[in-house]
Amino acid sequence: MLVYTVRRVLGAIPILLLASVLTFVLIDVSGDPLADLRMQQPPPDPSVIQLQEERLYLDRSMPERYWLWITGIGGNGDIGLLQGKFGPSTQSATYDIGENLFLRLGTTLRLVGAAMVFALGLAVLAGVVSAMRQYSKLDYTLTFIGFLALAMPVFWFAGIMQQAGVGFNELVGSQVFATIGDGTYQAQGQDLWGRITNAFAYMTLPTIVLMLTSFASWSRYQRTSMLEVLNSDYVRLARAKGLPNRVVIRRHALRTALIPLTTVAAVGIAGIIDGAILTERVFQWRGLGEFFIAAVEKNDSYALMAWLLLSGVLVILANLIADLLYGVLDPRIRYE
Amino acid sequence: MHKRRKTLALAAAGTSALMALTACSGGGGGDGEGEKVVTWVINSLPAAWGSISAAGGSVYTVQMLSGVLPYTGQWQPDATYEYDLNVLAEEPTLINEDPEAGPFEFSFTLHEDAVWSDGTPMTGEDLRVTMMMSASPTEGYCTTCDSRGTTGPDMVEEVEVDGKTATFRLKEGLANPEWMAMFDAHSAGGGFYPAHLAEENGWDVDDPDQLGEYYTWLHETRPEWSGGPYQIVDGDLENQVVKEPNPEWWGETPKLDRVIMSYNTDEGTFVNAFQNGEIDGANPAQYSEDVITQIEGIGATLTVGEGNIWEHIDINTKNEFLSDVELRRAIFTAIDRDQIASRNFGAGYPDYELKNNHIFSSDSEYYEDHITDSGQGSGDIEAATEILEEAGYELDGDTLTLDGEQVGPFRLRSTDTVVRSNSLQLIQAQLAEIGIETTIEMTDDLGGMLGGTEYDIVQFGWSGTPYFTSSPQQFWHSESESNFGGLENDEVDEHAIAAGTAPSLDEAAEHANAAVAAVVPEAYSLPIMAEPNYFFVSDRLANVEDNLQSSYRATYNIGEWDIAE
Repeated sequence: MLVYTVRRVLGAIPILLLASVLTFVLIDVSGDPLADLRMQQPPPDPSVIQLQEERLYLDRSMPERYWLWITGIGGNGDIGLLQGKFGPSTQSATYDIGENLFLRLGTTLRLVGAAMVFALGLAVLAGVVSAMRQYSKLDYTLTFIGFLALAMPVFWFAGIMQQAGVGFNELVGSQVFATIGDGTYQAQGQDLWGRITNAFAYMTLPTIVLMLTSFASWSRYQRTSMLEVLNSDYVRLARAKGLPNRVVIRRHALRTALIPLTTVAAVGIAGIIDGAILTERVFQWRGLGEFFIAAVEKNDSYALMAWLLLSGVLVILANLIADLLYGVLDPRIRYE
Repeated sequence: MHKRRKTLALAAAGTSALMALTACSGGGGGDGEGEKVVTWVINSLPAAWGSISAAGGSVYTVQMLSGVLPYTGQWQPDATYEYDLNVLAEEPTLINEDPEAGPFEFSFTLHEDAVWSDGTPMTGEDLRVTMMMSASPTEGYCTTCDSRGTTGPDMVEEVEVDGKTATFRLKEGLANPEWMAMFDAHSAGGGFYPAHLAEENGWDVDDPDQLGEYYTWLHETRPEWSGGPYQIVDGDLENQVVKEPNPEWWGETPKLDRVIMSYNTDEGTFVNAFQNGEIDGANPAQYSEDVITQIEGIGATLTVGEGNIWEHIDINTKNEFLSDVELRRAIFTAIDRDQIASRNFGAGYPDYELKNNHIFSSDSEYYEDHITDSGQGSGDIEAATEILEEAGYELDGDTLTLDGEQVGPFRLRSTDTVVRSNSLQLIQAQLAEIGIETTIEMTDDLGGMLGGTEYDIVQFGWSGTPYFTSSPQQFWHSESESNFGGLENDEVDEHAIAAGTAPSLDEAAEHANAAVAAVVPEAYSLPIMAEPNYFFVSDRLANVEDNLQSSYRATYNIGEWDIAE
């Protein structure tokens, strides 16, 4: 498995390089990073614009800039992926893209992690219950909820959840739920119980919103997968042998039925991170979503490149994890 | 029965847990008992800790530094100018206003008690160093300083510092009618910075490279210094800053124990957050009818007024057809500004005013209406048709022609915002009434589109401040890079330059109005209206009001904010 993993990781490098060339070109032709500065009133002195052009390496050709971005050779020490530098930012001369990117990644993973756990748990529960009671009222209800969740736009549902949170707070006369921020500052200096309640206050609403879409699709996967397994010969044999239903479901059916969901969920991590852009915006979490939006708004090409590169790495990693998990869960699969 | 009991027990346990949680405050920031705490929204992330830089400094940085950065004066909400006599010992002195008699010269003297939060007295050296950091790199003071407002500092030839006083002499022959703005709330940095911290950190401010390092340090380091009623005690550039009273502040003691300035980039969250007690108010840069209509009636005071971005329609005079001034006049006459303003802002701001002077707003003492009598922007189709007929244009069915050739079609362009999109659709319909066909094309690269004059008719915004002297030259001078549509008019050029170099504001205003009067008959630029800005504040606060004249907006008087009795 180690050899397979190393081979896959090495194979990902040319893919990432090719993707980086394409995105670099697309970003470069999509707008002038100094457009806002040039439109400023009163107009800045030409020497100020020249200073910015030099700082952002805009005085060099596109191929030169790409080479600089990869290697850092010939730069001012603030650029070069191979040296761990992501390049200068249009947002500020003192804005460190790498530091911000990884700081934001931590924030996003906190949200995505919680959403993943709850979405998976609920999806498995709903899928299994639906499959076991196929065509019952409960099945129809869960199916309806699943499709409703799939159809609801995230920004709209987020607004509804915020209003529900505010309504609950007003009902109980205290701020149980917060509608903006990730609570980092509010948790400072609090004891364990304080930190737990703080996390509950700030994480509940965005977690529900973010897990919604994943829960909806995953529960459908789980239902289908469970139905297939329940109708398979070995489950029928287990029942015929007189095993209690609970044992049949837990030991024989569920474990097999989890395999497709596990792989789908692993690949879905990247999708959830992308989906977090809207959720983070609405709940004002300073995660990768806000990082991306700010980079787009400020024409910050190196920050955009960093975000896209990280997304690419996450997608490749998620696919790799999915493939590896598939082998772990299904003993028939071997890696060579 | 048994099942129901289990369900009830679960529900009771859940409710208990939630009730236990209600004992803890989720939002709002964990205020101490009896503390006066206010949470104010800054509508975007400040990109740096310093406000001078073109890459990092912004109105959001300035607002974040409110109550920390000292300044010498500012325009008040009623459009009058007030010097800050907490910071200044007296009103600054204009020593020589006639550049022909000698260098244009003025001085500032700081208040005797004025000190930074570490106890170091404020001196003229602080002003000198701020001026040096605000000038262009070509002035030679600072190698890497990229100030976002170099005009005033670049005029300075010499600075003389004597204790609390700094005297500035301009280069030969230059005058600056806005000299008093050098260190006020509207200057490049929104105030002035300490000089002594450079030396404390080992930098020589007279060495251009080392001054650049100090400049960078000021922009990347959270200020532990303050020269105002509050000082920053915690925070970052991602979430919020927390301010508490500056114990060394020599003026009236601030009323609040803590001000939290929370960055919030999504106006869609304001209403819920306000209702939930997580924020106490905001002064966003964008107009949002949704927020305006929802926020009233939930314990907020709301005001809407003219912001500093004003929309206008410009014409490319280099176009084959549009080089004819009569056609331009007919186009501007056919455009109905009131319909545009009403459609965009009528619901949230029914008291909107059309802009009838490109340079001055109606509350300025220098305001003169140059548009109404011209008929431009009136939507008078009959008058527009008459202009066209007199100029030899004819209607062929629904199409305007000149010598049998169709006039146009014209590219009608702008950026893709709701306001501008509505506006262009209305203009398209209005021009169709005089037989002119237009095609609407949106862009996300306004600078590139304007710079390359890739339009025939365009709508965009200029930012206006109470300071105006450089505006005519920037907008309309034949050699200005911002004169995108290529207006060429000697009279306009003459007045535009005179406005920027007049020895006094009164004289500059005369020239600015003369420039406007010369531009209007050219039918080159038609102002529509200033985009409204809104502000809301919780009724539990006192002494908080919006200041649309200032980049600081409502935070302009943060030292006076209080909790209502």
